[in-house]
Amino acid sequence: MSALLEIRDLHVTHAGRPILDGVDLTLERGEALGLAGESGCGKTTTALALMKLLPGGFKQTGTMTLRPPDVEEPINVERRTEAGMQVVRWRHVSLVFQGAMNSLDPVKRVDTQIAQAIYLHERPKSAKDVGARIGELLTTVGLTPALGRRYAHQLSGGQRQRVMIALALACRPSLVIADEPTTALDVVMQAQILALLEHLREQLGLALILISHDLGVLSETCDRIAVMYAGRIVETGPVREVFAAPQHPYTKRLLDSLPVIGGSREMAAPIPGGPPDPGDLPQGCRFRPRCPYAAEKCLEDPALREVRPAQAAACHFAPWAEWPAAHEAAVEGAAG
Amino acid sequence: MNPRWLAGKVAAALVTLVFVVVFNFFLFRVMGDPTTQLARLPRATPEEIQKLKSYYGLDKPITGQFLDYAGDTATLDLGISQRTRRSVWDEIKDAIPWTLLLVGTGTLLATLIGAWLGVIAATRRGKAADDGLLGFSLFTYASPEYWIGIILILLFAVWLPIFPSGQQMTPGEDFSSWFAQAADVAEHLVLPATAMTLMLLGQYFLIMRSSMVDVLTEDFITVKRAIGLPWDRVVRRHAVPNALLPLVTLSAIQFGIVAGGAVTIETIFSWPGLGELTYDAINDKDFPVLQGTFLVFSVAVILANLIADCLYFVLDPRVQAT
Amino acid sequence: MTDQRVRDLLFDTWRGRIGLGMLGLFVFLAVFGSAIAPDNPTASSLDVLAAPSADHWLGTTENGEDVFSQLLVGARVSIVVGFAAAAISALLGATVGLIGGYFGGWTDRGLDALENWFLVIPTLPLMIVLARLLEPSLGVLIAVIGLTSWAGTGRIVRAQVLTLRERAFVERARALGASDSYIIRTHILPNTMPLIFANTVLIVAVAILSEAALAFLGLGDPTRISWGTMLENAFSSGAPSAGAWWYVIPPGLCITLLVLSVSILGYLFEEYVNPRLREQPA
Repeated sequence: MSALLEIRDLHVTHAGRPILDGVDLTLERGEALGLAGESGCGKTTTALALMKLLPGGFKQTGTMTLRPPDVEEPINVERRTEAGMQVVRWRHVSLVFQGAMNSLDPVKRVDTQIAQAIYLHERPKSAKDVGARIGELLTTVGLTPALGRRYAHQLSGGQRQRVMIALALACRPSLVIADEPTTALDVVMQAQILALLEHLREQLGLALILISHDLGVLSETCDRIAVMYAGRIVETGPVREVFAAPQHPYTKRLLDSLPVIGGSREMAAPIPGGPPDPGDLPQGCRFRPRCPYAAEKCLEDPALREVRPAQAAACHFAPWAEWPAAHEAAVEGAAG
Repeated sequence: MNPRWLAGKVAAALVTLVFVVVFNFFLFRVMGDPTTQLARLPRATPEEIQKLKSYYGLDKPITGQFLDYAGDTATLDLGISQRTRRSVWDEIKDAIPWTLLLVGTGTLLATLIGAWLGVIAATRRGKAADDGLLGFSLFTYASPEYWIGIILILLFAVWLPIFPSGQQMTPGEDFSSWFAQAADVAEHLVLPATAMTLMLLGQYFLIMRSSMVDVLTEDFITVKRAIGLPWDRVVRRHAVPNALLPLVTLSAIQFGIVAGGAVTIETIFSWPGLGELTYDAINDKDFPVLQGTFLVFSVAVILANLIADCLYFVLDPRVQAT
Repeated sequence: MTDQRVRDLLFDTWRGRIGLGMLGLFVFLAVFGSAIAPDNPTASSLDVLAAPSADHWLGTTENGEDVFSQLLVGARVSIVVGFAAAAISALLGATVGLIGGYFGGWTDRGLDALENWFLVIPTLPLMIVLARLLEPSLGVLIAVIGLTSWAGTGRIVRAQVLTLRERAFVERARALGASDSYIIRTHILPNTMPLIFANTVLIVAVAILSEAALAFLGLGDPTRISWGTMLENAFSSGAPSAGAWWYVIPPGLCITLLVLSVSILGYLFEEYVNPRLREQPA
């Protein structure tokens, strides 16, 4: 079993409050996993925890194992010191940060900053080689190499986003995490970036973790999807299956809120309430206060278990064959 | 550098300068009757006063007087010192190098040390070092610089007689070489320069610290960590250069404080610069000299702002876009 | 809610308590200093530049006067000039900022240019020139300091008014036919006052330092004792070289502590007015 990435039992706390509560994730080489959920559910924290980039004040436990194809020994991230991480970062896993507006040093040129990453992890033969590689990277993301001489403020938002993708690819990692790469871009740009990511995956055999609150975005590019809620994963599975037959009430509600062309003209009601405060978590299932199907059993913590082939959900009443209108029906169904 | 931009800045500086001249003119020619101040004769007759008036061109209309004044100023004819009877410009000319030496040393040291301490405090926020430095800089900011100078004299010239308590050179001494003379001056420079450095240190420290704190919250700092840069390099190569930019502009804006400090510190240490010149002129009510030093101080601050603008232009690529 | 926050900041934080405490002490001295002074501060004696003793807790001056009494009495000038000059500066700066910011156009450009001029010009040399010309007195000092320190407030107020002017509630008021003075009174001013107040407290600190510097240079009110004139007298009578630390250290220390207390309070108010200034959690 040589999964590219295995995260087991990741816990992250901040000032004593749980931010991530037992996250398990597996990613195969070349696979695209979507990480979905509302803002604040812990998606970005997971990405930062993987790269051990969380600011001081955050504590993390759990194992994170990377098995890049070009490395003999597996990388046990949780055991690595800061110096050890500096070798792993960007070379094996890179991150395209949310909001590229200010992700580049404003007083240095773009190509200098991409070169910086390259020099950190490789010994290039000459500066010319590096220059050529940068030109290639920029072309790959759909920019002209001449833009490398520019400063960040001389680029548009879409161009900056592409530069960050080029930067993420600079050291040829086997895993790229893209955190909300299309938020703050217009729909046209969004489609272009997604197509670019898809193309890069095919071309370079990259594994991708795509973080987004927008399920529509994830459905286009991902093979599998993991839905997070309040610091936990509540459902995982192949994208088609999860979309066709969601197994967790939260996933169902998220999907309901996506407008369907040609479908009913009614807007789905928004899920009442909001995600819980990490300092004030409900007992048992964290979605219970907002779940239309909540029952007494839900005061017990539901484990994330396989409920259909390759699909797992953290709900006592899964598997759901269909979604009844009311709670009574659900309880009956579960009992029966 | 865009020549149009530079020309614009220089033009603005010149306009500011013109208003300084106008201000000076109106202050002394219009507000006070110059003849009573200029004459200083116990019992001058009306004819003598009239002769003085026409001699100084005071019987011309205001615009004529102003043009005379402006023209004189442009040719560095700033009048005669009432105390020494030398030309004001000669007095100023002799004093400028000494003030430059004092102010230059103080500003340089304050910038270097202040910036360095600012980085330290910002990267250790909330810890003892940060609190200690904040307290120290607040104290030096609140204390009068001449009082600090007096304390320095007490500590290092009177109780521990290490340094001289005043003047720029040991009086009456014959120096064997240029180097020996420079060393003597340096010895005399230590205490006044320390006073000036301490006066500015707190300010520059606070500016740099707050600038660094802001920069360290920027996204690109996290990105630099993410690509695998060690933290000390992230701070040195990416945080500090960006944090220095506001330091340049903010310290230029506060340059007027340097001029004020020069006056009081030179007074305490009898340092023969523009400040000491001003102090003597205050005591003697020597208005031509007061006007002259005010003009020179203003020119210096305007120039400092211009240089800071140019420096910022060179350092920050975003400015070139405007 | 906002008033409660100010009270919390003032009374429940170390900084607030220290600032208020020290300032309170100095204000007390300003009012009652001459009453509680042990000796007549101008009573000279033959006991010249004497070290501290039971008779004279902080020794004597070059004229044999009691330093401690002078210290107590000197608080008044610093407090009075500091607050009065800051008030004038605030009034002037706020007015200029308000008029320029609200009415815009050439008025604004002219006022802005004036403001920039005052900001660039070195302040102490300017004050020196004005004070020497006008013959020093308490009133002259207050006027000179007030008239040269307004530009900072002016700039801040102008920036705030510019943002407020474009806000929806102002546009709505105008659409409803409200006059300029009404809008300024009911919408602009209340949203600018906290800013002006916080800024003015910091100007008090600058004013106190300015008065002290001018007094030290010989431009203080000759009929009054202030900490600045004490330092001036000490310096010109050679007290530092004579090692008369009791004469030289206390006045400067008082100036420093007064400025510190005002600054602490000023930063506190600034923090209240602008939450952005509060430190982000690490």
